Amino acid sequence: MILRVALLLAAKALQATVCLAFVVFGALSAAAQSYPSKPIKIVVPFPPAGTTDLLARTLAQKLNEAFGKPVVVENRPGAGGNIGADVVAHAPADGYTLLLATVSTHGINPTLYPNMPYDAIKDFAPVALVGRVSNVLMVNPKLAANSMKELIALAKAQPGKFMFASSGNGTSLHLSGELFATMAQLDITHVPYKGSAPALADVMNGQVPFMFDNLPSALPHIKAGKLRPLAVTMSKRIVQLPNVPTVAEAGLPGFEAVSWFGLMAPARTPGEVVRRLNSTVNKILSNAEMRQRLIDLGTEPATMTPGQFSEHVKSEIEKWGKVVKTSGATVDQ
Amino acid sequence: MELIANLATGFAVALTVKNIAYCFVGVLLGTLIGVLPGIGPVATIAMLLPITFNLPPESALIMLAGIYYGAQYGGSTSAILVNLPGESSSAVTTIDGYQMARQGRAGPALAIAAIGSFFAGCVATVLVAFFAPQLADLASEFAQADYFSLMVLGLVAAVVLARGSVLKAMAMVLLGLLLGMVGTDVMDSTPRFTFGIPELTDGIGPAIVAMGVFGVAEVIANLEQRGERRVFAAQITRLLPSKDDLRRSWKAILRGTGLGSMLGILPGGGALLASFAAYTLEKRIAKEPQRFGQGAIEGVAAPESANNAGAQTSFVPLLTLGIPTNPVMALMFGAMMIHGIAPGPNVINERPELFWGMISSMWIGNLLLVVLNLPLIGLWIKLLTVPYRLLYPAIILFCCIGVFSVNNSAYEVGMLAVFGLLGYLFLKLGCEPAPFLLGFILGPMMDENLRRALLLSHGDFSVFVTRPISATLLALAAVLLLLTIAPAVRRTREEAFAQ
Repeated sequence: MILRVALLLAAKALQATVCLAFVVFGALSAAAQSYPSKPIKIVVPFPPAGTTDLLARTLAQKLNEAFGKPVVVENRPGAGGNIGADVVAHAPADGYTLLLATVSTHGINPTLYPNMPYDAIKDFAPVALVGRVSNVLMVNPKLAANSMKELIALAKAQPGKFMFASSGNGTSLHLSGELFATMAQLDITHVPYKGSAPALADVMNGQVPFMFDNLPSALPHIKAGKLRPLAVTMSKRIVQLPNVPTVAEAGLPGFEAVSWFGLMAPARTPGEVVRRLNSTVNKILSNAEMRQRLIDLGTEPATMTPGQFSEHVKSEIEKWGKVVKTSGATVDQ
Repeated sequence: MELIANLATGFAVALTVKNIAYCFVGVLLGTLIGVLPGIGPVATIAMLLPITFNLPPESALIMLAGIYYGAQYGGSTSAILVNLPGESSSAVTTIDGYQMARQGRAGPALAIAAIGSFFAGCVATVLVAFFAPQLADLASEFAQADYFSLMVLGLVAAVVLARGSVLKAMAMVLLGLLLGMVGTDVMDSTPRFTFGIPELTDGIGPAIVAMGVFGVAEVIANLEQRGERRVFAAQITRLLPSKDDLRRSWKAILRGTGLGSMLGILPGGGALLASFAAYTLEKRIAKEPQRFGQGAIEGVAAPESANNAGAQTSFVPLLTLGIPTNPVMALMFGAMMIHGIAPGPNVINERPELFWGMISSMWIGNLLLVVLNLPLIGLWIKLLTVPYRLLYPAIILFCCIGVFSVNNSAYEVGMLAVFGLLGYLFLKLGCEPAPFLLGFILGPMMDENLRRALLLSHGDFSVFVTRPISATLLALAAVLLLLTIAPAVRRTREEAFAQ
């Protein structure tokens, strides 16, 4: 008797589960088909008006046109991008809260911060790469270094005394410098600043001999002749500075340090929603006007499938992890 | 002659109906957010940034610039009438402006603030037009050691600034310095007083502290005084300053304008530092320094001129060097990038219509502001005579919205409440919040520049006295400190002799 009741209950439970599963599945699939049915929010983990923010706003405007639904940008800066990324890691996985992820949140920070609030791989579903930004190796124009090789020779002549500036500890620009030092076997001192503007100012007035900076903020000073570009950090030359060699060409083969930006959703976002977003973003990025707009912002438009993007993130975490460990940089919390 | 041609180009852009309209919208919005405590230009410009996507770049920048200097006009209104700084750069105006209002002289206080701002705005516009490239060179001469010495001078000024007990003022500066240390150390990323809270890793925003200790605390304190109205609108008998007021103010306006214009150019400077410095200077050189804090009109004229001058000249490093010196300028940098204009030395040559159009619009904006403000003083006062049971919740609400909209962080709204309580405690203990705020702002900058200067000099301390700029600033600080301590020393000695 007891057995029969138990069996009956089990059968009912099974039935209920199956029913529930159908309902949930049906709802999910319907959700994916009607996606988006309400406004989408893109979280930018950095302050307004920076490169990440401008990129997000440009993209949001185009997504809005494509979907016919409002796409809003919300800035949640702090802790090197970790606060904003954490918000999205714990948001509902329905495709209505997205993150504009960067090389910081999903490349450097996982190794740099010993206590990460999120798991850069397990907590996210990579959606689409949007763009890549090259860094530029620049010196004060009065410095007796007209090529990267001459700079390396200068630095080697005064071990421990030669310095480079950056926009802050653990930024991709600091680590570009560390990677450069490791590969060229230099003993140089890092001078961190709060953001790239004051660092640029000190390289321009000769306080510090050289630095790496993102192309968008560096370009106007290069054009005005206040800074001399020696190399770009992408693996190929860039359209904005066609006469400047890559670091690899200039004498450090294999060197590559790129700032990238891409859309991410919380893990467990339905695959169909991810695919829909990916194809929409890739279509936007193939538009000539949009491409020109990104190039004007110093960004190279770049597309990937969700799978490729996911692999890219894994390899970036591994690559920057090594650089962070070699440099000894860390940010406790 | 070239200047006249340039200005002609500028006015041709700024005087189109469309751009006058955008300029008007900017200064009107700026005045409004300036009057309302809590919401500042940073939050407003950040919120409006997406809208400017679809505007022509000249119109967008003219409007955004109008918000910044317009806010400097509006900030004085609530500082004078309700002892709440509408803008953090008006914090110092509360000291004498509110006292004037209590004496029934709110009208002249508001008028002199508007006149001083207008004068400073005109002078700063001319300065920017004439000397932009030279001024930029001056700022680029500043090295780490010089900044450190400038901050030392600022801190000494913070003590001098205080009324009453020097000991309490020093304690407040030190407490400010200590709280300013919260966050991540710039040089080696060591966390300081963050207790593992991610929201604290970038430090506490100055806007939160300023709104908490000045704004929220004042509301709490006013709530204690049941039934007593402290808006002095009803007592405003005359609007225009008397001859005596003008005689006392004109030099203060000149000095404030000069000091503000200079401080605006320096990184980290801008309106806030300018207003504090101008007030300190007036108090120092006054024949009767005891009048300060009791409603001295110079104490309103100088800082209000200085903050407007500083707001405008802070565009110089952005437009000529491409270097944003404060958060508002960082947003302007972004606004220019949105339109594909790279801020930097090329703007003036490549986009003369933009550069000169913006500068010309500043003069037009200042004119609009005077026209807007003098007659509108009556309206602003009406806004503030709203019953307190409505006004106070509204002020607190605006403070919360203002804080929240900067980083979209609820945690920071909580911090605002904590600083409100702390400010109330300061009031009860008779401690001045102004030196506290200055210590809080200057502390982290001082720490960063000191350590970077030493890193660059390979640990050699002599760099602070061998660089001429740094040495001069340190000498000034020493003199100022001696002047402050000297009367006290003399008094004690006199007392000793008397016994």
